Amino acid sequence: MSTLMHDVVVIGGGISGLMASIYLAGKGYKTALISRGDPVCCLSTGCIDVLSTALNPLDGFGDLSEMHPYHLVGKKGVEEACKLFKEIMSKSPIPYVGSIRKNREILTPIGTFKTTCLVPQTMAASLGCRDEYVHVISFTGIKDFYPSYITSRLSNTGFSLYDAGVSSTLAIAARFEEKGFAADFATWITGLELPPGKVALPAVLGVNNPVAIMEEISSRINREVFEIPTLPPSIPGLRLFRALKAAFQDLGGDVFWGMPISSVERHGHIIEAVTLATSARATRVQGKAFILATGSFVSGGLFATRDSVYETVFGIPVHVPGARKDWFWNDFFTAGHPIEEAGIEVDSSFRPKQTTLENLFVCGSILARSEVMKNHCGHGLALATGLKAAKVCERKLT
Amino acid sequence: MTFEHCVRCTICVENCPVYKVEPRFPGPKQSGPDAQRFRLDGEKSVDQWVKYCSQCRRCQIACPYGVDVAEIILKAQLKYGTEHISPFTAHLFANAYHLNALGSTFAPLANKAASFKAAKAVLNLLGISREPDLPEFRFFNMERGRRRKGKGRKVAFFYGCHLNFNRPDIGWKIRDMLVAMGCRVVMPRQTCCGLPALGNGDLDMAKKYAQKNASVLTSFINKGFDVLYACTSCGLTLIQDYPGILEAPGGKKIAENTYNVNEFLLSLLQDDKENRPLGRLEKRIAYHIPCHLRALGIGYPAAKIFEQIEGLECFVLDDNCCGLAGTYGFKKRNQDVAHKLGEIASIPIRALNADAVVADCGACRIQLGHYTGLSAMDPVEIIAEAMANSIDNKKKSGHGIKRLFQKTPY
Amino acid sequence: MSIKTDVIIIGGGATGCGIARDLALRGVHHYLVEKGDFASGATGACHGLLHSGGRYVVNDPEAAHECITENTILRKIAQKCVETTGGLFVRLPGDSKRYRDRFLKGCDEVGIETSVLSPSKALDLVPNLNPAMEEAIMVPDCSIDPFRLCMLNAYTSRHRGGNILTHHEVIEIIKEKGVCVGVKARERLTAQIKEIRARIIINATGAWGDKLARLGGSEVPMTLSKGSLIISNHRLTNMVINRLRVPSDGDIIVPNEAVCLAGTTSITVQDPDNLEIDPAEVDLVSTQAEQMIPSFGTTRLIRAYTGVRPLLKASGTDGRSISRGFKIIDHENGMFSILGGKLTTYRLMAEKMVDVIMEKFALRTTCRTAELPLEGQDELSGYPLSKRLSNMDDIVCECELVPRRIVEQAINTMGTHYVGDIQHRTRLGMGPCQGGFCTYRALGIMQELGKVSPDLSLKILSEFLQRRFKGIRPALWGDQLREEQLVEYIYLGILNMENA
Repeated sequence: MSTLMHDVVVIGGGISGLMASIYLAGKGYKTALISRGDPVCCLSTGCIDVLSTALNPLDGFGDLSEMHPYHLVGKKGVEEACKLFKEIMSKSPIPYVGSIRKNREILTPIGTFKTTCLVPQTMAASLGCRDEYVHVISFTGIKDFYPSYITSRLSNTGFSLYDAGVSSTLAIAARFEEKGFAADFATWITGLELPPGKVALPAVLGVNNPVAIMEEISSRINREVFEIPTLPPSIPGLRLFRALKAAFQDLGGDVFWGMPISSVERHGHIIEAVTLATSARATRVQGKAFILATGSFVSGGLFATRDSVYETVFGIPVHVPGARKDWFWNDFFTAGHPIEEAGIEVDSSFRPKQTTLENLFVCGSILARSEVMKNHCGHGLALATGLKAAKVCERKLT
Repeated sequence: MTFEHCVRCTICVENCPVYKVEPRFPGPKQSGPDAQRFRLDGEKSVDQWVKYCSQCRRCQIACPYGVDVAEIILKAQLKYGTEHISPFTAHLFANAYHLNALGSTFAPLANKAASFKAAKAVLNLLGISREPDLPEFRFFNMERGRRRKGKGRKVAFFYGCHLNFNRPDIGWKIRDMLVAMGCRVVMPRQTCCGLPALGNGDLDMAKKYAQKNASVLTSFINKGFDVLYACTSCGLTLIQDYPGILEAPGGKKIAENTYNVNEFLLSLLQDDKENRPLGRLEKRIAYHIPCHLRALGIGYPAAKIFEQIEGLECFVLDDNCCGLAGTYGFKKRNQDVAHKLGEIASIPIRALNADAVVADCGACRIQLGHYTGLSAMDPVEIIAEAMANSIDNKKKSGHGIKRLFQKTPY
Repeated sequence: MSIKTDVIIIGGGATGCGIARDLALRGVHHYLVEKGDFASGATGACHGLLHSGGRYVVNDPEAAHECITENTILRKIAQKCVETTGGLFVRLPGDSKRYRDRFLKGCDEVGIETSVLSPSKALDLVPNLNPAMEEAIMVPDCSIDPFRLCMLNAYTSRHRGGNILTHHEVIEIIKEKGVCVGVKARERLTAQIKEIRARIIINATGAWGDKLARLGGSEVPMTLSKGSLIISNHRLTNMVINRLRVPSDGDIIVPNEAVCLAGTTSITVQDPDNLEIDPAEVDLVSTQAEQMIPSFGTTRLIRAYTGVRPLLKASGTDGRSISRGFKIIDHENGMFSILGGKLTTYRLMAEKMVDVIMEKFALRTTCRTAELPLEGQDELSGYPLSKRLSNMDDIVCECELVPRRIVEQAINTMGTHYVGDIQHRTRLGMGPCQGGFCTYRALGIMQELGKVSPDLSLKILSEFLQRRFKGIRPALWGDQLREEQLVEYIYLGILNMENA
C-alpha cells in the first residue's frame, strides 16, 4: 500500500471542497483533494446563487431559519468568500461579474428569469435584457434548447437558427474553438440585419476560452452577446469546475480522482487517514486534518435507505427530517421539500456536532438545513462554508 | 449492475473526448447505462456504434456514482466483436505484439520501407491512418538484453511493447536509474500485456497474454519482487483488468504488488532523506497526463518528482485526451477523431511555449509530438537528466554515472 | 349543433377501444368519448400481463379457459403489443403442494400448456430467481402493452370511419322521454362542449361505471378494488414470474419493455379518483416480490402506480375472490353497461357487446376481430428490445430510446397538445429519469411543430411534472431519490419553473 502524507485532506471536489482546497494550498499547506468523480457543479448554470430572497442577498439573512448554516459564516464571511472567488476566477479564462450587494437576473432556457448574484462574464449582458430587443440564436438539431420557449414568453424578441454542422452542445462548443468558426458565425449574424439590441444563445461558446470567443463575436457584430445556461450537459458548469480545479493544481495541490474511499482510520478523536480503493492496491492518504465536502444526495455525500439517511464516508449521524412519508410534500413545486434539511449538523467551528472528532470539518451542501432549493443559495453557501471551514481548519493546523 | 446508479446527470458526457468530435458516437451515457437496460434480453448485439469508444475511461473516472461506464461499453464491444466479423485492422492490432516483434527483427529494413510513400498508401488501404507516423522499430529491443542488474531492493520491470520494440532507450534509462537508486532490477520474460487484443474485441487472445504474464509475474512477486511498469496503459491493464475482466490467475496479487515507476521513484526519493539525487534542470515542460494515468487513481507522481527539480517549470495538463488512444487512432475510421483531438490537446501545450511535451504513455508521445512539433519525452527522461546533473551523483561516481545514462544497446 | 352517430362508446380503455374496432370492422358508425387519454383507468394501471390463465385455473376454470383462448388470439393479432416472454409459476418452500397438483390438473383440463422445471433449469432461464425455490412451472404467459393495444384498436376505428374523442369528459347524458339519446362532452383544456346523439350508448367506463350510469338514471353496483404496483429500473427477469399459491397480494412480476412491474395490492375504495399510494403498499409489494426474486428488495425502483379494478358487486368484501367474469347490463333505456372482465379478455368482451348491438340494429355481420391482425403495427418498434439499439440517431428520450421521428409522428397523427399522450404512445419519459430531461424536449418539439400554443406549454410542463411526481413520491429513496434531487435542481434551479 502506498502512503502519502498531507497537511489537509479535502474529500469532495465540488465548489465547497475546491474553495477550501484553494485557500489552504494558497497558504502553503500540503493539500490533497479526493473526489469520487466530477462534482455536481458541472451540471449547474455556473452562476453563484448567494441568497435569492431579497434584492441585496445579505438582507435575506433575516428570512433564513435560525439554524441555517449561513449564520455560522456571517454576512462578512459570505462577502469574503465571494470576493476570494471573484479573485480566483479573474485569473482564469472565465472571470465573474456581479456584486455581493445586489442580486441580478439571468435569462433561462424557458424564458423565465433566475435571480442570482455572481455570473460568468459570458452571461453579464443578460442583465437588463427584459428592456431591450433580444435575438435568440439557436442551432439546427440541438436537442436541449428551443427558442420558442423564450420568444413566446417575452415580447421584443426574435430568433434564428444557425447550422453548425453538429447538434450536441459539446460538439458545437468544440466547433467554436476551431479557427474561423466564430468569425463565420459573426458574419452570418451581421447578415441577418437585426434591429438594435442584444444577441443571446445557448451556452456553447467553447469550454476553454469562452470570453475571448464572445468578445470576438461581439466586436464583429457590434452588439452585446450573452449566453443562456442549458440543461445538463452544462458547459458553464464545466468551465467553473475546471477553472477551480486548475487554480488548485497550479498551487501545487494533489488531486486523486475517480476512486471512492474504502476505509477510514480513526484513533480516538483523530482521523488519521483514509484509504482509496485504487484498483486493488489501496492508496492510503494521511492527513493532519480532514474536510468533508461531499455534497447532498445527488453527489453521493448522503444516501437514503427506505427509512433513514446515512453519510457515506465517515458514517457521521445525519439529521433526518422525519419518516420517509414526510420527506416530500405532495406538490412538486413547493419551495423546499423537508428532505432538503437533511445533513450534518455542525458547531461554530464547523465540526460535526454528533461526534467527538477534533480534526474533521464539514462544509457545503452536506450541511444540515441548507435548504438549497428553497433559498436558492447553493453555490454561495458552498463557497462561504468552504472558506470558513478552511480557515477554522487552518487554525487547527497551526 | 452499477448501471442502476446512473441518474442521467451527463457528467460522463461532459468528459468524453470522442463525443464532441464524432457525431456517430452516442456518448458514454447512451452507450453505457442507457443501452444496458436494453441489452438484458441476451439477444445478438446490434450496437455497432460502440466501436467509436476509445476506452480512455474518462467517463468512468468522472462518474460521481460509481457507474462503471467504460467497462459496460467494453463488454458491449467484446460481445459485438464475438458475434460479428471484425474488420481487418482489429485483427491486425490485436496481434500488435507479433507484428512489432516482426518489425523489430527486420528493424532497419522495416523502418525504411515504412517511410516510403507507397508503403503509406498500402497501409492506408489496409485501414491504417495516414497520421501520425507509425513509430520506428529497434533491432536491439529490450527482449534481447534482459540482463538483471544492480543490488538492493528487488524490482521486476514490466517494460511493455512500446518501450520494448520502439524505445528501448527509455527502458534502459529506467533500469539504470533504478539501479543507481539502489535496486536490483530484473526484466522477466514477458509478452504483450493484452490491452491491444482487449481493445480490438478479442477477449480470448487478451486472456492468453494475461495468463502468460501472470504466471511469470506472480512467481517474481512470491520471491519478494515489486513489479514496475512505465507505460500507464500496461499498468492499468495489469492492475485493473488482470484481476477483473481478464481473470488472470494471481491477478489480485499482481494488482497489489504493481507500481508505476514514478510512483516507486517518488517513494524511493521520499525515503532517501540524506542524498539529493536530483540536480538542477532548466526546462519548461508541458506535462500531459495520459487518460490511463488518471484512471489508475494514484495521482500524478511524476509531477511530485518534478516539483523537486530546481529550475524545472512544469505545467500539468489533465483535461484533454490526446486522441490516439493506443491503437484506436491508428485506424483509418478513427482518423478524423484522432486528428481533431490531437489538435485540441495541442492548443494548451503550444500556448505554454514549452521546450518539450512530457507524457507517460507512448501513444500520447507519438500523437502530441506530431501535433505540437515539440520533442516528446517520458517523465523518466526528465528525471534522468536531472539526476545526471546532480552534484551528489557527479561526486559519487564521477564519469561512471555519466556513462550510465548514455544510450547503450544493453 | 349536434353530431349524429349510431353508437357512442363512453370509455377509452381496452374494452371501449375493442368495441370501437369491432364496430368499425362491422361497418357501424360510432364515436368513442374518453375523458383522459386511452387506458387511463384500470387498463393503464394493471400488470400488463397477458394471462395464460394459470392464475385462475384452480378457482375459476371458466375464466382460465377464456384467458388461454384470448391469449392465443392476441399473440397472433397483436404481435407488436405482445412480447412472448413465457411465464413461470414458482413454488417456494412452504407453498401448498396440493395447490400445485390442482394447478397442473386444472391447466391440463383447460388446455394451458405446462412444463415442470427443476430449480436449476428455472435458474438457467431466469438467473435472478430465488435459488431456494422448490420448482417452477412454465406457462405461456406474455407481457402486453396496454397503451399500444388501445391505440391500435382505435386506429382501426379511425381508419374506417369511426371517431375518437380523447380528453373529452361526458358531463351529461341527454334523455328524451326517458330514453338516453346522446351525450354532452367537455374538452379538458379548452372547456369546449360537444353534443353527440346516437341510437345506443355504451358505458364502458370501468371503475366509473356506476358514476356514469347514474348520469343516465341507472345504477351499477360495483366494488372498487385499488391495486398498487411498483416499477423497477431494469429487467430483473425476462419471463413473467407468478407465485404458485392461492392468488394473493404481490404475486406477480412482469417484464415490460426495459423494466419490471411488480404487484399488486387489493384495497377496497369508494372513489375511483384521487387515489393515493400508501408507502406501506410499496413495502408490501416489494417484500412479496423479494421472495421470488431476492434482488427485488434492494433494486432501484423508479415509480409506483395505482389503479382501480372495477368488479361486479358481490356479497363478500375480498375484491380478489369476486369473479373476474364480465357482465353486460341492458338498462333498457338506450344505454348498456359492460363491466368487469380483465385486459386479457377485452376482445371477447367487445365481441359480446357488439353482438348485442348488432342484434338491436337487426344487422347480421359477424365478428372478425379474432382473425384480422391489428392494423397500424408496422411503424411500431418491436421485440426483442436489444434490436432497438441498432440506430441511435436523434434520440429524444434517451432512457427509453425514443427517436425524434417517432415523437413527431405521434404528435402529428394525434394532433395532440397533451404531453401525456406522447408518453403513452412512445414511452417517452417512462424510464429511470421519468421524463426529467425529455419532457422539456418533447414540449419544445411540439412548439416547433406549432401544436402547442406558447402560453400553454409551460402550463402543460408544470402539470406534467406534478403528475409525474405523484407516481414517484412513494418510491423515493436510494438512487431514485438522487434522481429526483437532480430533476429538482434542473427544473427549480436552472429553469426556475416556480416563477413561470
